[in-house]
Amino acid sequence: MSADVNTDLLEETKTSLELAQVWKVVVLNDPVNLMNYVVMVFRKIFGYGEQKAIKHMKEVHELGKSVLWSGEREEAESYVYQLQKWRLQAVLEKDD
Amino acid sequence: MIDFQLQIDSRILQAILPQLEKTFALACKRGGFSYSCPNPMDDDFVEAWELGLKQDFSQDRKALAKLFRNPKFKHGYIEVADEEVEEVLRCLTELRLTLREHSLGELSDKDLEKGDVENGLDNSSIRIAYFAYLVMAEIQEVLISKIS
Repeated sequence: MSADVNTDLLEETKTSLELAQVWKVVVLNDPVNLMNYVVMVFRKIFGYGEQKAIKHMKEVHELGKSVLWSGEREEAESYVYQLQKWRLQAVLEKDD
Repeated sequence: MIDFQLQIDSRILQAILPQLEKTFALACKRGGFSYSCPNPMDDDFVEAWELGLKQDFSQDRKALAKLFRNPKFKHGYIEVADEEVEEVLRCLTELRLTLREHSLGELSDKDLEKGDVENGLDNSSIRIAYFAYLVMAEIQEVLISKIS
């Protein structure tokens, strides 16, 4: 087996493992965004009810971050993209 | 169509219009790439991610430019088409973030969040930037209340 094939195989395995892991969508606090703006965005993107969206907004505000969703990588990436589109600081983290 | 009149002194509005224009130009120039792609090692992925956001941000800016260019805006009258409310809300956030970064750096995050900034407003350029920041927040507040 050539070195190239080994590298490809390793890369594929790594990608498969990453995709199979659970990923967290995390929103970080910023001093600019209005609380009702953040609540509206959470409701719009995740379909949360008002109380759940407020709970997450308060977590972001008081603790500096909140885990909004966890699951498969591809869907998590899509959520991060949408949050960034709304100018929120959102990142993806591995669920340990 | 969503329309309403801003409840602010017209002198304040006239004073902040150049600041809004300047901040809008700055946001367009910056491109808005302070958002991290979740897969930074994959160049193709990063490129697609940034291009997507760039196009989305550009759409948002077009909607806000329409509002700012409306002759009624300088008199405090806000007119936003129903289908452009989200774009306007997002772009106002971008402008507030830009203002925070470039013109309100002397104010602490804590004071800015609390609105407790009286001591930091001795400098007139900071004062105007802060009023612009508040006026954009006011527009967002009303738009959100109208669509909720």
